[in-house]
Amino acid sequence: MLKEYLKDDYMQHVSCLDSWEEAIAVAADPLLKSRIIEESYIQAMIDSVEKNGPYIVLKDYFALPHAKAGEGVNDVGLSLLLLDEPVDLKGNPVKVFLVLAAVDHTSHLKALSEISELLMNDETYEQFLANDLAEIKKLL
Amino acid sequence: MYKFLAVCGFGVGSSLVLKMSIEKAAKERGVECEVENMDLSSAKGTNADAVFTSQELGDELKTATKSPVYPIQRYMDKEEVGQALDDFLG
Repeated sequence: MLKEYLKDDYMQHVSCLDSWEEAIAVAADPLLKSRIIEESYIQAMIDSVEKNGPYIVLKDYFALPHAKAGEGVNDVGLSLLLLDEPVDLKGNPVKVFLVLAAVDHTSHLKALSEISELLMNDETYEQFLANDLAEIKKLL
Repeated sequence: MYKFLAVCGFGVGSSLVLKMSIEKAAKERGVECEVENMDLSSAKGTNADAVFTSQELGDELKTATKSPVYPIQRYMDKEEVGQALDDFLG
């Protein structure tokens, strides 16, 4: 289920970026290229942080950028960006970005639950922080 | 059986993760509960025993709901969520 939405070429490893805004845009780029999302969705994710605060930082070093379901989103999708150097997201260092694109309130639930279980588990979360894409692909 | 709300700006992403954290923390404590995740505006019109959300959204929600609001900084942090649940259980 998870692999259906978080495809191999939707996962990137980048050394460092200048800002959290840039990180969100880079993380979402594979979804944009696949036409799963529109350009407007990237801005909506950034605007949400400005408006609602940095609650998308769900644990140390991990953020889940997303915005409203179905607005600027054509299909369900997930994309992952791993950074060697954390960027600052309003006082929170982040090095793992998981972009969520949802079309409604239910279609993405199973996939998001599956990856959340991996991120909640200290042992598997270590693989994400270690930026080891090959190991992460095995986990999915 | 308690009814809890897990709230984020859109009700599709972070709030689902928060719901999972609350359910895990509740299970560890043997607390029976039903957790619903939703967006901020839906939460304003929904009654519950407790509402869990971010500091920023919590400030806005407090003026619109009678339910006690517990701010959570890290939705995926089982210890922080557990602490908030303990505060509620008093």
